[in-house]
Amino acid sequence: MSAPPPIRRRSAGEWARANLFGSRLDTALTVLFTLLLAWVAYRLGRFVLVDARWEIVERNITNLLVGSFPRDQLSRLWAALFVLAAALGFGAGAFGAQRRREVAEGRAEALPRGGIRRLVPLFLLVAVLLWFSGTLEPALLVLGAFGVGYGFNLLGQRTPRRLERYVPLVVLAGVLAAFLVVAAFGGVGWNLWGGFLLTVFLAVAAILLSFPFGVLLALGRRSSLPAVRAVCVAYIELFRGVPLITILFMAFFMIGFFLPEGVDAPSLVTRAIIGFTLFTAAYVAEVVRGGLQSVPAVQVEAAQALGLSPFKTTTRIVLPQALRAVIPGLVGQFISLYKDTSLVFIIGLTELLAVAQNVTKQPDFLAQGLYVETLVFASFVYWTGSYWMSRESQRLERRLGLGER
Amino acid sequence: MSTENGTPMILLEGVSKWFGDFQALNGVDLSIERQEVVVVCGPSGSGKSTMIRCVNRLEKHDAGRIVVDGIELSDDIRDIQEVRREVGMVFQQFNLFPHLSVLENITLAPRNVRRRPRAEAEEKAMALLERVQIPEQAHKYPLQLSGGQQQRAAIARALAMEPRIMLFDEPTSALDPEMIKEVLDVMTELAGSGMTMVVITHEMGFARAVANRMVFMADGEIVEEGTPEHFFTAPREERTKQFLAQIL
Repeated sequence: MSAPPPIRRRSAGEWARANLFGSRLDTALTVLFTLLLAWVAYRLGRFVLVDARWEIVERNITNLLVGSFPRDQLSRLWAALFVLAAALGFGAGAFGAQRRREVAEGRAEALPRGGIRRLVPLFLLVAVLLWFSGTLEPALLVLGAFGVGYGFNLLGQRTPRRLERYVPLVVLAGVLAAFLVVAAFGGVGWNLWGGFLLTVFLAVAAILLSFPFGVLLALGRRSSLPAVRAVCVAYIELFRGVPLITILFMAFFMIGFFLPEGVDAPSLVTRAIIGFTLFTAAYVAEVVRGGLQSVPAVQVEAAQALGLSPFKTTTRIVLPQALRAVIPGLVGQFISLYKDTSLVFIIGLTELLAVAQNVTKQPDFLAQGLYVETLVFASFVYWTGSYWMSRESQRLERRLGLGER
Repeated sequence: MSTENGTPMILLEGVSKWFGDFQALNGVDLSIERQEVVVVCGPSGSGKSTMIRCVNRLEKHDAGRIVVDGIELSDDIRDIQEVRREVGMVFQQFNLFPHLSVLENITLAPRNVRRRPRAEAEEKAMALLERVQIPEQAHKYPLQLSGGQQQRAAIARALAMEPRIMLFDEPTSALDPEMIKEVLDVMTELAGSGMTMVVITHEMGFARAVANRMVFMADGEIVEEGTPEHFFTAPREERTKQFLAQIL
């Protein structure tokens, strides 16, 4: 056997001399950027910790989170949060146990950075929200939700092997139940949702709908049937050629034209979801098409030679390879969509950013120039969501072994 | 050579194939019996690959007739699927599915095409991996394997469909020299088990030892065929002599 590679350890001083003060130019740049960074950090820190008048966020924290959601129904949201925590905790536990067993059996590779660390962006968000709420009750409820999540996580880890295939169904049922807790049985329909709740709902619904639709469009664009191809190309080029704002306006004004008489026009939120889905699907289609092109033709030949039908060849061989090749692009598209939900203010919906704007016009805060505080808060909330998606995408890439397999 | 019920396993009659203006196959006639092992050789561009790719319809022939185990290849997708179930193929570049483990590569077609239950398909797959001598690689992914191991996994994948015919398209051409033998050993064992095989290869040692018949192709035509002894020691055609002089 060969000897291990020689390890050369450098002290911090050596590293700094080599990388920061290597030449006179290096030294000058190091000093300059250190000063610049320090100044920015000082100004930002001073604003956040000293100058900012956060009472506008503190007083409106409920408005920012749920908009005009009826206050006497808020308990439904807390209940839904508990159900969600249970469902997701259970799913994470079951998948985690399954994964660990596969690693132990040598069927899969272990991944660094997992478990609780994946929730860091969520913890950040919750910590800031609780700080602004300033009362004990929400903190206890959130703690309870985490407790329930953890309990169901332990339960999920004990899922018997023969029942493992039902885990996704159970999680899905849980999410659906959470939704029903809010909306059904005399509850609050999504046309009354607002604030961050509406932001998340719009994003999740549009992502879940636009993804399969986009994949179908991408496959259709490569179809051997000229009519299917033409329709898909026309759709993609049309919707990519129009600004999102235009599509939202059209969803607002035009969906009524296409409905048969006697059918009630859908609510504003439904229209917004339709608009986002139509728009994002066109982009998803082009991203996925790039992935489809990256799958070598010989893969299809190998599948055909085994007697696989065209449908199975697509779903088992081509799509899995195509989608894993475009995870970064797809997630980028979904992060865009998440932030673009803020555009719905133009059709009169009040999601997070609209609430952040509106509260500056309250009598108590009118004309006091507190825009920066609410914008910084809204930005932070958007950022935690985007950052979480970005981290999960990197993890998924590594898990699927992009680049190695 | 056994000829049960008289009909050939693979029959090509006047098969021609064009790629644009280029004629890749020019009236090829070939009849292959059950359990026969035929080695096809010839210079590159002679139509060897195109010919065997026509047998399982990876290429569509433009003229002539191809009958595989009694089924004539037509545009009917059911006939094509039927033939593909009977014919296994091994490629020069292995073409394993990189997103599936070796075991999943092998069980995919039996489970999805032959509708075998998972446990049964996996048991069969493990038996095949024993046969090609890489059972310890079952849960690895293709790109974690050496070239020789990948090609043996590819052979196991084709065998999992229990084909009656195996087509090999230069199975050792992409391998490092020290891995060629392990693949040829598997193929020799397979020939001994009575599998009907059509092998494109330039491994003349393998051809001499295993082939029942040699077929030499050039310019889209079959120039000469015969037993290995005859083919290597007393070729009739000038082109065959030239070719053998170059590769031996």
